[in-house]
Amino acid sequence: MKKLLPIILAFILAVPVVNAQSFAVKGSVTGVNDTDPLPGVSVVIKGTQRGTTTGADGTFQIEVPSQETVLVFSFVGYQSVEETVGSRTDISVKLISESKSLEEMVVVGYGTQSKRAVTGAVISINYDKFKDRSFSNVTQSLAGTLPGVNISQSQGAPGASPVIKIRGVSSITAGTNPLIVVDGVPLENFNLNLINPQDIESIEVLKDASSAAIYGSRGSSGVILVTTKMGKPGKVSVSANVEYGSQKVVRRVKMMDAQQFIETYVDAKNNAWTAQGGNASDPNSVRPATLKIPEDFTNNPQQFGKGTNWQDVMFRTAPSYNAQVTVSGGTEKTQYMFSAAYLDQTAVLDANYYKRLSVRSNVKTQISKKLSVGLNLGITSIFDRTEGTQGKSDVISLGLQSNPHFPVYNENGNLGFRDPNSTWFRFTSYADMNLWHPYSLTREVDKSRKSFNTLATGFLEYEILDNLRFRTSLSGNLYNSRNAFYWNDKQKYGYSAVLAAQGNAGDAYMFNWLSENTLTYEKKIGEHALTGLLGYTSQKQRDETMYVAANNFPNDLVHTLNAGTVTAGNTTASEWSLLSYLARVQYNFKNKYFLTGAIRRDGMSRFGEDNKWGYFPSVSAGWLISDESFLSGVNAINSLKLRASYGVTGNNQIPNYGSISLLAAAPYVNGTTIANGLKVSNLANSGLRWEKTNQFNVGVDLAIFNNRVNVSAEYYNSITRDMLLFVPVPDITGFSSQLTNIGKMRNRGVELNISTKNLTGDFTWTTDFNLSRNRNKVLQLGPGNAPIQYVDNVVTVRTEVGQPVSNFYGYVFDGVFNNQNEIDAYPHHASTTPGDPKVRDVNGDGKISDADRTILGNYQPDFTAGITNTVGYKGFELSFLFQGSFGGEIANNNVRYLGTWDNGRNFFASMYNYWRSEAEPGDGKHFKPSVNYLGLQKQFSSYWVEDASFVRLRNVRVSYALPAKWSNKLKIGSARVYVNAENVHLFSKYTGYDPENTTYGTTSYSSSMETAGSYSSGNAPVPGAFQGVDYGSYPLPRVITVGIKADF
Amino acid sequence: MKNFIKIITVIGLVAATWGCKDSFLELAPISNPNAEIFYKTRTDFDLATNAAYNTLVTVYHPQGPVSYAGELMADNVTIFNISGNQADKWQFRDYSLAPANTMVYQFWQDFYKSLYNINIILDKIAPADIDAAYKSQTEGEMLFLRSLYYFNMVRIWGDVPLVTKPVTAAEAYNILRSPSTEIYAQIIKDLNEAKAKLPATSSIVGRATKGAAQTLLGKVYLTTGDKTNAAKELKEVYDSKQYELLPSYASLWDVKNKNTKESIFEIQFLGGTATNPYSNYYLEFFPNSIALGFYGAGMNQVVDDIWNEFEKGDSRKEASIDTGFVDAKGNFTAAKFPKKWTDKTAPLINQSIAANNNFIVLRYADLLLMLTEATGEVSYLNEVRKRAALPLYGTAAYPSKYNTVALALEHERRVELAFEFHRWFDLKRTNRAIPVLTAKGKNVSEPKLLLPIPNIVRDQNSRITQNAGY
Repeated sequence: MKKLLPIILAFILAVPVVNAQSFAVKGSVTGVNDTDPLPGVSVVIKGTQRGTTTGADGTFQIEVPSQETVLVFSFVGYQSVEETVGSRTDISVKLISESKSLEEMVVVGYGTQSKRAVTGAVISINYDKFKDRSFSNVTQSLAGTLPGVNISQSQGAPGASPVIKIRGVSSITAGTNPLIVVDGVPLENFNLNLINPQDIESIEVLKDASSAAIYGSRGSSGVILVTTKMGKPGKVSVSANVEYGSQKVVRRVKMMDAQQFIETYVDAKNNAWTAQGGNASDPNSVRPATLKIPEDFTNNPQQFGKGTNWQDVMFRTAPSYNAQVTVSGGTEKTQYMFSAAYLDQTAVLDANYYKRLSVRSNVKTQISKKLSVGLNLGITSIFDRTEGTQGKSDVISLGLQSNPHFPVYNENGNLGFRDPNSTWFRFTSYADMNLWHPYSLTREVDKSRKSFNTLATGFLEYEILDNLRFRTSLSGNLYNSRNAFYWNDKQKYGYSAVLAAQGNAGDAYMFNWLSENTLTYEKKIGEHALTGLLGYTSQKQRDETMYVAANNFPNDLVHTLNAGTVTAGNTTASEWSLLSYLARVQYNFKNKYFLTGAIRRDGMSRFGEDNKWGYFPSVSAGWLISDESFLSGVNAINSLKLRASYGVTGNNQIPNYGSISLLAAAPYVNGTTIANGLKVSNLANSGLRWEKTNQFNVGVDLAIFNNRVNVSAEYYNSITRDMLLFVPVPDITGFSSQLTNIGKMRNRGVELNISTKNLTGDFTWTTDFNLSRNRNKVLQLGPGNAPIQYVDNVVTVRTEVGQPVSNFYGYVFDGVFNNQNEIDAYPHHASTTPGDPKVRDVNGDGKISDADRTILGNYQPDFTAGITNTVGYKGFELSFLFQGSFGGEIANNNVRYLGTWDNGRNFFASMYNYWRSEAEPGDGKHFKPSVNYLGLQKQFSSYWVEDASFVRLRNVRVSYALPAKWSNKLKIGSARVYVNAENVHLFSKYTGYDPENTTYGTTSYSSSMETAGSYSSGNAPVPGAFQGVDYGSYPLPRVITVGIKADF
Repeated sequence: MKNFIKIITVIGLVAATWGCKDSFLELAPISNPNAEIFYKTRTDFDLATNAAYNTLVTVYHPQGPVSYAGELMADNVTIFNISGNQADKWQFRDYSLAPANTMVYQFWQDFYKSLYNINIILDKIAPADIDAAYKSQTEGEMLFLRSLYYFNMVRIWGDVPLVTKPVTAAEAYNILRSPSTEIYAQIIKDLNEAKAKLPATSSIVGRATKGAAQTLLGKVYLTTGDKTNAAKELKEVYDSKQYELLPSYASLWDVKNKNTKESIFEIQFLGGTATNPYSNYYLEFFPNSIALGFYGAGMNQVVDDIWNEFEKGDSRKEASIDTGFVDAKGNFTAAKFPKKWTDKTAPLINQSIAANNNFIVLRYADLLLMLTEATGEVSYLNEVRKRAALPLYGTAAYPSKYNTVALALEHERRVELAFEFHRWFDLKRTNRAIPVLTAKGKNVSEPKLLLPIPNIVRDQNSRITQNAGY
């Protein structure tokens, strides 16, 4: 160590030594295709840290020591250029934008590669593509722009993670979230909100098995690599950014107003009463309790006017603020990047908010020629209150269900009709009056969550021999989240019951550590180039939870649990561990024939005693045809590459102790004391093994007409085997399901990406278009290929051979029977009277039975597409992104509450067109309401299933780069102002908020973090099977932000 | 510098080999016990036995199979609006059950899940190295519970798959429905064995006893038409003088009065807090209202037909049926619902109410009425009438419309055991279900007196047959 200091000193002293024969060189830097000068380009004398940057007009001046001096020109987003000065004193340089170059570096698993050498299906997106977008999660900014990657915002709450599906769905019940890798650290079910998008240099999506196979058992749902920024040698760069945004729910669910509601309510009661032989004009005194109608409704419904629109009550136009400072720079030996950012977002939902503070420090330094070390450290804290994402019984869903005739405040200033001192109390005599006042859940609840995440990676690289590098890294991800909840006594009578005060607090802790050790060998012999990688990694995670609840609070003054009596509490812990060996060889000949082979061996604690280890091999090849002599004469073709790959990836996303039989509590009472009991809660499966996906991929990349047209096309075919499935087993075993490897499923698809530069010059216009189509088909299931059916809250999904996974399954309603003749002419349910639904006799056996249930649709779209157009003139840039999804269906689970009578909840406005009589048949779709539906009205049917196709103007962005003369005056390097609008307009026929809504998250096990899997409204054992079911989701607001970015 | 590199290399290599053992991958569950090491010691079996008794809570749940079959399919009760899949629940009341009915499937699962918890004890206790007396009593208790469940199942579905030990999924595919005669034979065999193994009284309150096994056996014999054996078993219990009628019928339903002399087998609950295994009957039977701060589920709402069945002056009517409730403002809402499991002292917990009432499965009055049924002797019936302070059968004041012992029993069982999940089974046992229920407007026929085999069961194993009515 003592020898190290003099070396460092020597370097420092060496720098200022200036050759006496120095002379001045000036020049200018422009982009290769335009004549616009490039300001801020770093110009450095090679081998020193001496340098300058170009001014606003793109010119520079520098003293160089000799004619042998080499100048290095570098600029973000452009390829660096080296120029030997020679005898010149005026040097003009054109920089080539990196995106146009095959030499652009792409991050792949455990290394980087030039784009030229990529042989798998990898999408690389750099910072420029999302720099002005306002999302807190970088993947939200990418929705609609990546072929084969379906990013959908299932919940619109601030900070809600999108559901990401790469090349379809590869599993029925195991987790399907892609693996997130942050600066080389693989993190399962990681919440990307914890990484500030402005800190991200690039995102790579590994779609095919060969590129994902290096992540072995975790690669089958795809891999998303996130690389954070690092400073570049040269001048210190300071950049700052301030943003203001406004969010608003523009697309509402159309609900009945008070008058429509009352009319429907009264009809539902009378329809049921007449079906029992009563008369619609009968007074309450002769009716049974459930068929009595409030006198206010019959005598004077007009007193309620249009009533309250509960969506107006709970939603608001909400501001957001975002500020960020980044400092980066460095020398040839040491580079750094520091950033701090603060986001303060008020949610559109009353009382909700989302605040994030993130700081990052990335440092890398060379200790000696052979040894370098670095540390990436990101700390994020999120303070938020987020409600409304659980659907069904959460505040937004309940708001829709509340009766519109109730006022926002009663005459006592209280919220609800259960106030015994209010005249509204008269409605408590009816058991079917519903009010879940939004404020009873927002303002009468004190709720908060505080999450902290520290992700740190320290690494060391040592060059053992020439070409042989050893890298070791140690990473830790520490996550902690605390939440607190306190519900005021009586809730101002706004809730469905008058409840005593209650409180609870919870804590989640997660610690994940990873040790990675790799050896990389690079060798060039003549025209042969070889890169070899060997690695060994071990990773372990522990999750802990804590929960305490209390009641019996003396008053509402103190909200912490010490004020009450603790009634419940528990703690849990669980762990997993993973050991991996990996190897990869990348070979190329003449830099145009490429071959890659890789293998990973993973062992994991989750799997059965007999099958802990699995092998995940892959192979891929590429051929750069355009470098062949026979194409050299074809000037139109700039590059043409053919790629093919085959590989095996796995899925390990099952519960931590999924393979062993566990015991669960089942207490009984012995006389007067509780007697603890234990019972077996699941069947063991010691043979449980990895779910494996074999994928074949071919792709072609073509650049023509001076790189003005870039086309990439992919075809893939993947077969998943040994699917990890909670397979239904005969219930006579005492269990309904057992986690088993079963069956086979195929995903097959094509992806197309076309980028064109339609206009260049002063006026620029580029178009990026992508199209993807995935076909999902189940090829084989368990014994006898028995279909697998799950039911949750009436919605039935069925997976059967020959069909895509999780079809909606139920009756088909063909409109409404208008009269008795129509009923007599068609098979019908025994209870059917005019105005009831016409249920299709699917099997044609002349009667309506269970056997008439059939496939009603599937949430998976036939194809998705996105198109971005960007036009620019001088400093102006305008870009708009349309995104479309076509051919999918959505199950509107809220039909159960809002599309049919359900104990007096409010109704969808569309239902108001219901059948009233033969002369007033309504719209022919909505059957007559009734308190007692005697037929199949409330069964899952086509009445619930809607077209989920949509086109969304997802993003519009206008930016203006201040001209150099202005920014010079302001003494800043460059500055840009921009306006960005997200979710601008949705074209969709869907009755709910948004056809992307789903209240069932992806299946994700063993994660304390908030992920797309955290949003689940039902009690389905396998939420992943219920994707595309909307049971009252959080709408996606329109977000408009204005911002300014400046570099100093 | 060299040293530095060496140190780094060593650290690297250590890191590389650290955990390079398979033990790194062997993680034991932390927050759930591992079943592989369970079912060994007496403490294990204590815990497992408690879990086996816990299954009674599911099977005799107010929204469980015995309640739906015993009451909702008969003529004592109805349901109006009810949470959950309403239409599926109405199908019981309306005799429109479909094989896709989710409740029927739920009940199927409930029974076999419960049986697993019993069978695994029987399977594991035999080889265990523990005290023989303890082993014998535990076996007796498990055999009693198993018989009780199969007795309910065979009455609900007829032929059912007979599982008497833990089976794997692969084995399960080869277990088809056994004829009900075989199920009854197994029940009788098990109960005889249980009778021999069980003590007259148990040191733990609520456990199955010899008397419970014999009373159940008597009922099983009655159901199979074997009145001789029924009379023999029931008479033995009668003669043991271990049980007696409480002087007051109403006091039987006092929440503080648990495990009385009249109780032969009783399911234990403990109210008071959310974490206790509290009783759900009050909450579930309360009308569909939140007037008292908890969500009444509206199960088993009393119909006028049984209200009118009570004779004039029968105080059991008032003890059995509540006629309404008073809300916070003092307004009275009329609604008839079962009163026997009311617990007005129970605390409200999150719109639920932690009631303390036990549920009696077998009681002495039931035994007395069965004795009359088995022997034709009306003296037992009259013991029940006597407590109710009503004219005895055979006297002039006795209502003339019940002019046979059979009719007298039918009437007496209905009012004495009202809402205790007996009615439908009683009507079926006495071959009276069709005439009685048809007269009440139920669309019932002989094949509909068995529930359908759930279609999911037959989807999984197509060799399982369906009942004739579906």
